[in-house]
Amino acid sequence: METTRKWRWGKNRWIVLLLIILSVFAINIAAPVQPHIQVAPEKIIEEPLFNLGPLGDFYLVNTLPTLIIVDLIIIAIAFAVRQSLRKGDLVPRGIAGAMEGLIEVLYNLTESAAGKHARRIFPWFATILILVLVANLMKVLPGMETVGVMHHYDHGHPIQNLFGNFYTLLPGEAEHGDGYILTPFFRAVSTDLNFTLALALISVFMTQVIGVQTQGLRYFTKFINFTTMFKKPFFGFMDFLVGLLELISEFAKILSFTFRLFGVMFSGFVLVALVITLVPIFVPSMIYMFEVFMGVIQAFVFGMLTMVFMSMATRGHGEEEHH
Amino acid sequence: MEGDIVLAAKFIGAGLAMIGALGAGIGIGLSVQGALQGMARNPDAYGNLLTNMILGIAFSEAIAIYCLVIAFLMLFVL
Repeated sequence: METTRKWRWGKNRWIVLLLIILSVFAINIAAPVQPHIQVAPEKIIEEPLFNLGPLGDFYLVNTLPTLIIVDLIIIAIAFAVRQSLRKGDLVPRGIAGAMEGLIEVLYNLTESAAGKHARRIFPWFATILILVLVANLMKVLPGMETVGVMHHYDHGHPIQNLFGNFYTLLPGEAEHGDGYILTPFFRAVSTDLNFTLALALISVFMTQVIGVQTQGLRYFTKFINFTTMFKKPFFGFMDFLVGLLELISEFAKILSFTFRLFGVMFSGFVLVALVITLVPIFVPSMIYMFEVFMGVIQAFVFGMLTMVFMSMATRGHGEEEHH
Repeated sequence: MEGDIVLAAKFIGAGLAMIGALGAGIGIGLSVQGALQGMARNPDAYGNLLTNMILGIAFSEAIAIYCLVIAFLMLFVL
């Protein structure tokens, strides 16, 4: 019989409060500077790394290092879970226990929506959810979007030498041609349109694949529907038009998946940047808490919508339920 | 002078683009209202309603986010 541990947050919340109070002194040492906001991810190295032929040049943009860290975190979690499974504990503890709880909740959710096809859908659902979740929670790490290389810029900020080769930006505008802006090493992955578009394409394409796997070629009668055309001409024609609308809505899905995640995370980034320069103490903590909440919600929504669309694809076109 | 007019037009355009968030706000409000009434009448359906409500909110919220993306495009890209 294991003893229940005491609730540790009772102590840790005072540490959080202390950090918030310390930020009052921190803004006197290094005042926050409004970052240069750019929709496309910034290039760390100006020259392209290599050429991809017809696709154009490959640049080292600052979302790539973040993506590598996200991958490393997920791999580390996977190894931790494997270690715990090797030991053969019936009750996994720590990370393994948390992951078991998460996976169990997700699997039950999939099973209640998809029934017997849950095993096929679940890997896509859980993979997308965990990847987006870790990627969105990365932005609360210190140093994200704040540490990087300086660049000359026309409307930049003046800089101050800290020690050695390290500089800090000062608020205010420098004289023309003298200013610098910061290109951070790490920028949240979800604020890169390429990442969200790739996930959306994977999600929608695999929805079609799962539809074909479960229903065979009959799946495509959802889009080009001639089945009822000859039995009842008028409603058959209506069914055909509805099928065309379904076809369009598949493309709309890609668009909405892409811009939902990108829009929420990018607007969160802009919100944090603006609020930090306007009210540097107390308020950014609350905004950060809200951003963590939005990140979790968006990860859940992205995975959940994938799961719902896939489970809709496994079901037939309503016709066979009647007879 | 011309640059100033273009800049002003960008800001006005970004502001106008966000009017679209009105519809999304109404939509989210309606879906939460429906879900809360359902929960009040049948508390057992709480979990089921909650997930479906969040899905519906995500759908209507997407409309507001399209507006936000357009506003961002006007402010930071064009």
